[in-house]
This record gives sequence, C-alpha cells and structure tokens, in this order.
Amino acid sequence: MTCDELDALLPEFLDGHITDEQRDAALEHLATCDTCRLIVDDLETVNRLYEDHGRLHMAPESRERIRRLLEF
Amino acid sequence: MTSNATILDLFDRTADGVYTLGYRLLGDRHLAEDVVQETFLAALRSIVSYRDEGPIEAWLYRIAYRSAITQQRKRRDLPTDPVDMVDLAGAGRSDVERSVLTLELASALDRAIETLSPSLRAAFVLRQIEGLSTRDVAHVLEVSESSVKMRLARARTILRVELKGYL
Repeated sequence: MTCDELDALLPEFLDGHITDEQRDAALEHLATCDTCRLIVDDLETVNRLYEDHGRLHMAPESRERIRRLLEF
Repeated sequence: MTSNATILDLFDRTADGVYTLGYRLLGDRHLAEDVVQETFLAALRSIVSYRDEGPIEAWLYRIAYRSAITQQRKRRDLPTDPVDMVDLAGAGRSDVERSVLTLELASALDRAIETLSPSLRAAFVLRQIEGLSTRDVAHVLEVSESSVKMRLARARTILRVELKGYL
C-alpha cells in the first residue's frame, strides 16, 4: 500500500470499517512509514479527545423542565 | 410502549446528545436548549408516523439537525453573544469534568471545533461525539455516505492542525 492509497482509505480505517485484508495492508504500510504513522496517531488522538470530552450536558433544571413537558 | 413512554425513554438516552449537537452548531446554551425542546415536542407529535427506517436515534437527530439549522439561519445576522464566547470552555460541563479536564484543553477543543464550517461540524459531532454510524449520519444530514466520509476527513485534518499543541 502506498501513502496515497492509505490516505484514501483513512476514513474507513479510522472508523474500523475495512476488510481484514485492507487492515493488514494498512498496518504493514504504517510499520514502515513514519509520516503516515504520525498522521494516523494524531487523527486517532483527535478522535479520542472528542469522544472522551466532546459531549456536553444540559443544566439539570432545564433537563427536568423539558422532560416534564413530554410527560403529558 | 406508549408514544409518551417511547419519547421519554429516548429523551433520557439522547437529550444530552441533542443538546451537544445544538450547542456545537449554535454556540449558545439557551438556543441549544430550545433545540432540545423543539426536537422532542416535534418527535412526540410525529412518532406515530415513524416507520422503522433505521435507528430511531437517527430519526430524532434528523429533526434536531433541521431545528438547529433553522435557528442558525434566523440567527445569522445577529451579533454573537460575548458571554457565551468567553464561557465556551466551561459551558455544559459538570464540575467534575471541569476539574479533570484542564480548562486550557477544554477551551482548545471548543475553539478547534468552532473553526469547522457547520456542515463539517455537524458530521464530526454526530459521528465522533455521538457515535452514529456513517450511514446514519448521512441519513441525518440528508447527504450521501461518501459526502459524510469526505466531511469527516476534512474535519479531522483541520482539527489536527488546530490542536497541534495537544497531540
């Protein structure tokens, strides 16, 4: 797999929606390409930061007020 | 399960997710709460016509996205509330989260996501923060899956640059 081929596959790779064959080829390329490894590491960190800290929470009183509207 | 019970169950599971989408698109907690209220009231009115066309969460987020976009269009010409901009890092986070996250990191994440265009931001929030599948994000945004993949790739590339000091 080349750098361009990995780049084209990145959305699926990062989402884990690829075949075993594609995944093996991507990992093989990443083992030998520092540039692509750096990019993938960074993008995985970006994803993780937002997965862990991106969700916000409504104020409890607002949540309760809206919930009550739905009960009738 | 009655319509009310279904909607209440959905509310308990996804109210914060809808709030997050609204806040990330509008940058204002009151408007985000309006989106939550409008979304669930609209869902309550129309759930009888829901026909199992995928996860019910995707159906709900579609209503929420339309509501947020409508608010955004109405608001386009209004000045941004400076209080909300200053308080962006702390908005919607619990005390525990605020104490664990450094304010600086929280602020950096909020600032970075603000640099995305609304269409990239919506795709990224729904996929990465709310965990919808690419297919469901496409359904919510009423675009093709390939368009969602392209938006996600662009969003991640921009966020990587914006968050360079934190990676």
